[in-house]
Amino acid sequence: MVLALAAAAIISILVTVGIVVVLVEEGAMFFTNVPIGEFFTGTEWFPVEGKYGVLPLLNASILIALIAALVAVPLGLGSAIYLSEYAPERLRRVVKPILEILAGMPTIVLGFFALDAVTPALRGIIPGLPLYNALAAGIVVGLLITPLISSLSEDSMRAVPNAMREGAFGLGATRRVVSLRVVIPAALSGIVASIVLALSRAVGETMAVTLAAGTVPNLSWNPLEGMQTITAYIVQVSKGEATRGSLQYESIFAVGLLLFVVTLAINVIAVRIVRKYRTVYQ
Amino acid sequence: MSTLDAPGTPPPPPRSAAASGVRPLARKRSRPSEQLFKWLVMGLTAITLAMLVWLITSVLVRGAGSLSWAFLTDKPSSNPARAGFNSALRGSVVLMIITLTFAWPIGVAAALYLEKFATQSAAGAERKLRERLDGGARGVRRAWMRGRLWWLRVRPGVVHMVDVNISNLAAVPSIIYGLLGLAIFVGILGISKSLLAGGLTLAVLILPIIIIAAREALRAVPVSIEQGAMALGATRWQAVRSQVFPAALPGILTGTILAMSRAIGETAPLIVVGGIVFGTAVPSLNPLDAGNEALFAMPLQIYFWTDQPQEAFQAIAAAGIIVLLATLLVMNLVAIILRNRYSKRW
Repeated sequence: MVLALAAAAIISILVTVGIVVVLVEEGAMFFTNVPIGEFFTGTEWFPVEGKYGVLPLLNASILIALIAALVAVPLGLGSAIYLSEYAPERLRRVVKPILEILAGMPTIVLGFFALDAVTPALRGIIPGLPLYNALAAGIVVGLLITPLISSLSEDSMRAVPNAMREGAFGLGATRRVVSLRVVIPAALSGIVASIVLALSRAVGETMAVTLAAGTVPNLSWNPLEGMQTITAYIVQVSKGEATRGSLQYESIFAVGLLLFVVTLAINVIAVRIVRKYRTVYQ
Repeated sequence: MSTLDAPGTPPPPPRSAAASGVRPLARKRSRPSEQLFKWLVMGLTAITLAMLVWLITSVLVRGAGSLSWAFLTDKPSSNPARAGFNSALRGSVVLMIITLTFAWPIGVAAALYLEKFATQSAAGAERKLRERLDGGARGVRRAWMRGRLWWLRVRPGVVHMVDVNISNLAAVPSIIYGLLGLAIFVGILGISKSLLAGGLTLAVLILPIIIIAAREALRAVPVSIEQGAMALGATRWQAVRSQVFPAALPGILTGTILAMSRAIGETAPLIVVGGIVFGTAVPSLNPLDAGNEALFAMPLQIYFWTDQPQEAFQAIAAAGIIVLLATLLVMNLVAIILRNRYSKRW
């Protein structure tokens, strides 16, 4: 019986092995047709003409993740500081779960919100903004990852012992100084890790960016233009009928492998940060 | 200052802190920068909440008009006025049944093993096995015991690997699970692009979430319960089955519901596995037919409608979102009630 339980635990390893094998195997088929050098340095992604340069897709994924971070870091850190250092306990107990609703929001809903509300609102500020643009996508993805940052940062800020705050207050520090110069430095490893994890989530985000940023590969740093991310490309190919074994079918595994490696690397960095810089207080 | 006072008389209290030359510990009125900072962090919190309110009201305003009983019972149609959500609802129900059937037993079993059996001391078992081996076990029995010995030796390493692995799996983007499902379930196992393939993919997706939640629930049961049972003569297996597991069950179920609420909103992996089919079929609710039913699900239908250029489809997409969010709300409420009602303080 216990062995059956052990087998169940080992299935989780099989899942990982499965992911890696599938991505590498199908990806390898792709790279027998498209040289790796061309894949990583090509500036045009145009599968119909056999142009497989991944830079436009990668660029779009990174740009949107950066816009998301630009939105989410101030909102998330501000909320974390407010909830952990200023808000009364009762308010905190209400606000924190509400913020976490955002994290559990299906991403298709955020995509709809971007198309239906955010882009029209942005058009009021930036006339001539196209329907599909990286800015609206970045904003809603930012919204999605804000609770991730606020929740994890707040947890690590609350883990800072009160004695440190009281010591600083006793020396005449104000609440702002305590927050910025005592609590944040003490909780820094957790805060940075939360931001890094949020970035990984943003890079892997799919539906919101597919709907809001469009499906035209575009190597550009201009957030007002439409562009296609790695994830949006996978969706676009999957929507149609890419026959098994075709170059297009294999290409989604190749870019999937790239996505997997990027997010895994980001997660490993986050774990390293926590392990290296964490201070443990009793 | 009071240097001029005659000795012996108590010094009069200083008129003001400044006059006494002592720097004040705190001023009554905060400096502007203090107030500004407080307003800043409060404002950032308020903006985040306001965005959530904006999101929900914009969906409600857009979709409420299209919401009706007919919307829930009609099948999909290319005419937005007649298009309904019924197939999507049925599809999601079947998907959840399949996902739960596969992910729950495996997830809970893995959690039980990792939390309760993997870490138990191997010394006693190893000694017993060795004695029996030396006692002259033959043939298959001998091979089996050798296997058990080998497993006891590699177990710590394997358990550590599983540990690291599960937390990494939980952070893999969901679309990657779609690629896994497409290659394994559709490609290798030859399951058609159906509800079955979608449900299996979602099961793999939430497996690490269920394992993590179930482990936490098991950990919350104090060891003394298990030790008490074992002191009365129960084996570890009996103690876990009849004491620890029932005590952890409410927590496990709460975690399961939360994992299911993640699965029910997932779009990307389903698109990758099943593509987007525009059909007017109404899938059967019988999960045994799932292998032949086209992949319908609430988020897929919402995506399909949102992706249409006509304005009228946006309204029914919003109505679909309202139904999806209402489902999520109910699931979360059930989870909260379950937790509050059955959670025990030990």
